[in-house]
Amino acid sequence: MTDANQYLRLQMGGASFLLPSGTGYTIEQRENLTTNKSPEGNVAAWQSLRSTRLPAYCLDAMLRVTRHHNWHRVVFLDALPHAVGLAVDEVQLLPRADTIVTPFTPLGHPPTRLGHLFAGAWVTGNRLMLVFDPKAIVAYLQGLGEA
Amino acid sequence: MKKPRTGPRLHSLEVPLDGSTLLVPSAAVAEVINPQKFVPVPFSQPWLNGAIGWRTLAVPVISFETLLGAPAHTHPEAGKIVIFYPLSGRKDWEFFAMFAMAEPRPQLLDGSQPVADASELPASPHVAAGLKVEGRLMLIPDFEAMKKVFYPG
Repeated sequence: MTDANQYLRLQMGGASFLLPSGTGYTIEQRENLTTNKSPEGNVAAWQSLRSTRLPAYCLDAMLRVTRHHNWHRVVFLDALPHAVGLAVDEVQLLPRADTIVTPFTPLGHPPTRLGHLFAGAWVTGNRLMLVFDPKAIVAYLQGLGEA
Repeated sequence: MKKPRTGPRLHSLEVPLDGSTLLVPSAAVAEVINPQKFVPVPFSQPWLNGAIGWRTLAVPVISFETLLGAPAHTHPEAGKIVIFYPLSGRKDWEFFAMFAMAEPRPQLLDGSQPVADASELPASPHVAAGLKVEGRLMLIPDFEAMKKVFYPG
C-alpha cells in the first residue's frame, strides 16, 4: 500500500529522480512489453491494451530520449487519453519517514506547457534528488510522440 | 566619472567572478559555503549551472558570467558558493546561489566611491551600475532584472 507522501525513486541513465506515489502509476516488467526493434523513433516499447498501445520512453540523465536497452521496467503514469511510460533502470518505493521533500523552483522558462518538470527536491547531506511534477513530466512524455 | 558625496555606510560583499567582480549588499547574502557538486537540472538555461543541497533545500546555482553573455565554463575547486536570500516578492525558500572564484571580501561603502561610466559597464540588463572601489570596477547586479529572467511570467 502506498500513500501520497511516499515517493518512487526512478533511476535513468545513472541519475535518480523521485515521483510522488500519489501519482497514478503501474509498473510493468520489460518482458510484458513489445520493444521497438527499429532504431528509429522515440518510443522504446509499447504495452498493448485491447485496441490501443501505450508508448514508453527511455530517457537519459538529462531526460533526453535515448535508445539503450539496459532498462528493466517501465513505470506507466496515468494520463489522458492514455497512460504514458518511462523506462527505468531501477525503481524503488522509498520509506515515507526517510524522505523529506522540500519545494524547489527551477529557474528560467519551463520546458513544458504545464510548467517546470520539477516541483521539489529531497536533500540529505550533499545528496540531492529532484522530484518530478507529475503533470509536467506526463506533458513532456506526451510531447515526445512516436517520431 | 562622477564622484558622489559621502553618505550612509553600506556593508557590501565583493564577489570575485571569472573576469569581473560583483558588489552586493551583505544583507542579500545568506551564507558563503565551500563548493560542492552541482546536480544538473534537465532542460535548464545555459546560465543555470545546476542545483546544490543546502540545509534541507535545493538551491539553484547560476553563472552571472553566462547571464552577461560569456560562454559557460567549469569551476575550479578553490572557489566558493555564495547563497543569496530569495529575491523580493519570491517565496521564502527560493534562495539562489552563485559561484565565486574566491572567498568574497567585505567592503564598506560610504558613497565616496566613484560611479563608473556606462561605457565601462557590460551592455547587459542584469547590471544596474558600477562603482570604482580602490580603483577597481565592481558591478552591481540588477536583482529586479534577474528576477524577470529567473521567474518569467
